[in-house]
Amino acid sequence: MEVKDKNEGLRTMIPACSIAEDSGLVTVKVEMPGVPKEALEIRIEGNELSVSGNRRLDAPRGRYILKERRAEAFKKVFTLDDTISREDVDAALADGILTLKLQIKEAAKPRRIEIA
Amino acid sequence: MDLVKWDSPAPMDVWDAFDGLRGELDRALDPFRIPSVAGLLDRTTAPAVDVLETEEEYLVMADLPGVDKRDLEVSVTGSLLSIKGDKKGERDSEKRKIFRKETWIGSFSRTIDLPAQIDAGKITAELKDGVLTVRIAKREEAKTKLITVATE
Repeated sequence: MEVKDKNEGLRTMIPACSIAEDSGLVTVKVEMPGVPKEALEIRIEGNELSVSGNRRLDAPRGRYILKERRAEAFKKVFTLDDTISREDVDAALADGILTLKLQIKEAAKPRRIEIA
Repeated sequence: MDLVKWDSPAPMDVWDAFDGLRGELDRALDPFRIPSVAGLLDRTTAPAVDVLETEEEYLVMADLPGVDKRDLEVSVTGSLLSIKGDKKGERDSEKRKIFRKETWIGSFSRTIDLPAQIDAGKITAELKDGVLTVRIAKREEAKTKLITVATE
């Protein structure tokens, strides 16, 4: 029988994120210090972009004098609207920050109409 | 935001005020409502830190996502370990439209009082995946020693 962490599945934390748009490129940054690439799952299902994973604290055996960091599962779900291209999603993990780059579809970009 | 019915508590009813406060705190601490590291009870100026004592050393681990090695300063004075730094982010420009901002940028500092038996000469610090790990060796005399009981 597999022994599971007592707290597993009990709590899911929501990581902090920031979303900004600059000339058709939407940048989503999600903070997840100490999470390796392998423990992370990013998926797009219909209108939902979800980022989920498990954070483990790889610490040797010992006595905690102070414990503020938590090892928990985390999940964040974003809703994508029709203007976001589902194909052009770029994800990079560096320094504990996941950066997702989403493109706004050409057809949905604002167009400037010249007056003849 | 929820719409809350306004009711004025009876004058001098202190307990009523406490009840209201408790409800407000319960809502604020609800883990499903706010992100764990942003919002009302966040750690904007003090990153979360773990201090672990093992047989050989003390380990200090701090969550510092997005902090560059060059913007980080770790120092020891006596038994005080100080972690100072600056978290930089993208500059806001007029073209950039911000939809959500739960993360923070700016300077931070954290000072940890370690037990006296540390060896200030044997300290290593490593920054990986946004987690800073500082290892501080214990002084030889502070390490646990096994004493064999001699039998006559």
